[in-house]
Amino acid sequence: VRFSKLLRAPLIVSGDLGYAGPDSLDRRVSTPYREHTAIRGESVKVERDGEKPRSFALKHAPELRGLLSGFSAMLSGDAASLRKTFDVEMTGDDDAWTLKLTPTDTKARRRLQQIEVNGHQSDPRCFAMTTSDGASSVLLLGASAAEPVAADVTLVALQRRCGGP
Amino acid sequence: MKLTRSALVLLFVWLVLLAGLTWFVQRQLQISTDLRLFLPSPTTAEQKLLLEEIGEGPASRVMVISLEGAEPEQLADASRTLVETLQSSPQFRLITNGDMSLDSVPDDLLAYRYLLSPTLDERPLDQKYLHAELQERGRDLASPAGAFLEPWLPRDPTLELLKVLQRWQPMQEPNRLFDVWFDRDGKRALLLAQTRAAAFDPDQQRLAVEQLDAAAERLKREDGVTLTFSGAGKFSVMMEERTRGEAQLLGAAATVGMIVLLLIAYRRVGSVVLSALPLASAGLAGLAAVSALFGTVHGITLAFGFTLIGVAQDYPIHLLSHGHTNRSPVESARELWPTLATGVASTSIAYATFLFSGVIGLAQLACFTVAGLAVAGLTTRFALPVLMDSAGRDFGDSAWLGKLWQRMERLPRPRWAGVAAIILAIAAMVLAPQPMWESDLSKLTPVPKELLIQDQALRTELGTPDVRYLLVIDSPDTEYALKKLEQLDEPLQKLIADGAITGYDHAARYVPTAEKQRQRQARLPEPATLRVDVDAAVKDTPFRPDVFEPFLADVEKARHLRLLTVDQLRDSPLGVSVEMLLTQHDKRATALVTFSGVADVAALERFAAAAGPGILLLDTKNASETLVTNQRVKILWSLAIAAVLLVAVVWFSLRQTSRVVRVLAPMALTTLLIIGILQAAGVSMTLFHLIALILAAGLGLDYALFFEHAADDPMEQRRTLHALLVCSASTLMVFALLALSTLPVLRALGLTVSIGVVSNFVLALLLTRPTAPAHGT
Repeated sequence: VRFSKLLRAPLIVSGDLGYAGPDSLDRRVSTPYREHTAIRGESVKVERDGEKPRSFALKHAPELRGLLSGFSAMLSGDAASLRKTFDVEMTGDDDAWTLKLTPTDTKARRRLQQIEVNGHQSDPRCFAMTTSDGASSVLLLGASAAEPVAADVTLVALQRRCGGP
Repeated sequence: MKLTRSALVLLFVWLVLLAGLTWFVQRQLQISTDLRLFLPSPTTAEQKLLLEEIGEGPASRVMVISLEGAEPEQLADASRTLVETLQSSPQFRLITNGDMSLDSVPDDLLAYRYLLSPTLDERPLDQKYLHAELQERGRDLASPAGAFLEPWLPRDPTLELLKVLQRWQPMQEPNRLFDVWFDRDGKRALLLAQTRAAAFDPDQQRLAVEQLDAAAERLKREDGVTLTFSGAGKFSVMMEERTRGEAQLLGAAATVGMIVLLLIAYRRVGSVVLSALPLASAGLAGLAAVSALFGTVHGITLAFGFTLIGVAQDYPIHLLSHGHTNRSPVESARELWPTLATGVASTSIAYATFLFSGVIGLAQLACFTVAGLAVAGLTTRFALPVLMDSAGRDFGDSAWLGKLWQRMERLPRPRWAGVAAIILAIAAMVLAPQPMWESDLSKLTPVPKELLIQDQALRTELGTPDVRYLLVIDSPDTEYALKKLEQLDEPLQKLIADGAITGYDHAARYVPTAEKQRQRQARLPEPATLRVDVDAAVKDTPFRPDVFEPFLADVEKARHLRLLTVDQLRDSPLGVSVEMLLTQHDKRATALVTFSGVADVAALERFAAAAGPGILLLDTKNASETLVTNQRVKILWSLAIAAVLLVAVVWFSLRQTSRVVRVLAPMALTTLLIIGILQAAGVSMTLFHLIALILAAGLGLDYALFFEHAADDPMEQRRTLHALLVCSASTLMVFALLALSTLPVLRALGLTVSIGVVSNFVLALLLTRPTAPAHGT
């Protein structure tokens, strides 16, 4: 779910995420249209039906980087690599935890303010990313995505669903 | 050493003259390192273009910088830091590392995006198009690219800037990591820097090189990153330094060696000091002549010139060795003069033919040498003897020289050996696998091969186009050239489709013609119309209706922009590309189309032939080879004329066929032998070998003339032998030192002449010495 000042209502898309190691992530959108984003190493490729694929450097998409490192850190339990790029703050308990990631690099912080990951036990449930100009996007995973999201959903409503404050 | 009053006056006048010359030379002399002085003057338009590209073309101002020795991410950061540091430098016009993000476009170019992008050629900026685009932008926003596109959307909802940037990307993109150029292995970050000064402006280039060196040191110290750079400017600075360094070192070594040798030979400090005067006069006279006639002197002319006139040291040696107990030096000089004059005149004539070789560097060399040798000869004849002590050592009395001469006379006169040498030399010439002549222009430069290879490798990594084929479009102005280029786009695309080339580049890819820009400008909608269209287009998209004000403002601005010109682009990151591809001079514009991955030359030629008048496919390799071949033909003609004149001078002086043959035989044989030996050693000959051959021939002629001159008088024979021994030993020493040089050109010269000295001396001994009893005066 993507919120932006430019938008009247949040954009809601859904699909699958495929994680295959610390430098490979696939993000497939299936509704309302089809789109495939593939991270391979340092480059990102976005393909959409009937369009030329577009590539850019991972550096340009700090939120993707955050998502990727968040995933790999959680799945491999390697917090050290996470600390290389982010200030990490952990709260809560095993049943409902919150991980706050703030980019250490000032340049990256100009764009990405914070990533908040909520989870239950070993399952991350939500990735909420806030860009510096206030726009944000929330990624609902697994159980938290089971219920459909209303077209006029608000950020606060989503945060509640994720179990955040 | 006692000097008479008149001798003192003479010495004083001489020294004053030398000081005057020194002052003149200091004031006038400008040293140039422009290699083109040693290239022939171009005769065709292609050659002219080629030489312009080599010397002043924007390509020659480009330095390729590589950073290595750290993790790619660090290297990329270092690359960005370097760009920031050098961007403000007065030495560099431009430095770029390939980072072409949306923010890297200068603000004043932003509004031009609607004039630069081809979008408007195909469709108007209307409600339908805007709606389709906004749909896409909605999806973009939801995609991972959303975060970095978001700030741009209000201003550029059709992502026109992205289209322009994509168009500006080279078709053969260098590898990129972290958004900056890298080599294929991802180990070296690459950058391009363009200096303000031309490649052969050594003073300015030195400042640029120093700045890069400083940056290299800082990077090494702070990040452990190794910076290397290369380019014509660096080569020019480096070669100047190295030539100067080596010339000083070798010059000092040669001077010390010479003094020691002369002291051993003559054991008198006064004579040795005096004998340096003709050479010093020769050097200064040569410099003065060149600076008066040409204004600038090429570094190579200087280095070579001084080596060539080093021969002038032989003249006072002859005078010293012919010292006589009951004959004044003045009389000795008069006695020696016919022989000496023949030597000086014939050598000078040989060099003088270079004046007409059509190569400015050679003409300078000729001027320098002829002036130098003439002055050395004349001062040895008329000034030096007056200053010299009459009571010198008489080498005619020397017992060991006498014995040596006798042993020499008993030497066989192996004519068969001469014949064998000729056959072997010719066999070597015919059988040697390498071409007899070096036609590769790049090998004529004194820049070490490794550096050129390294430079080429860096340029290849940067995806610089195939340098061999260029399409040249000559046109009266830029607009016309750009128009031509736009018309060529279609056939060029076809060449790519057919697989004849993999890519091409030309200026119109960056700057559209004014005509096209005007058309696009005319198609931009009026503000009111656009506002209505935007409002309608936004309706069923997720976007809010009021966010696109900046877009409306930019379009309105674009409608009133002055059209973009090549000049405006000059200082943008595209400047280097555009300027390399489109140059303006003398109110004409020359546009180039470069190709990459040329696979089918015939197709390229057909395309060029069909492209119309004023368009030419330049095969630079071919053009440069023709250039070198033309140059060689000219020089060989000069040499042929020189040979004829030389024989004429010797004939005029000796007037007897048998004597002429005896004098010329060693020289001719030696020339043949040197060529044979070089060929057998696998060396293809260059211009510099030819110069060395003439030098060796001049030496051979001198030796033979003096051997011939020795006649029957045993005392005279010993004096001559002494003079020749000292001469050849000193010359051999100097050139053997040169052969140790690390500069290929100096090494070639040193080796060639060293072989020549030995061969000439031995052959003169064997062939030219008079037959012991039979020959009369």
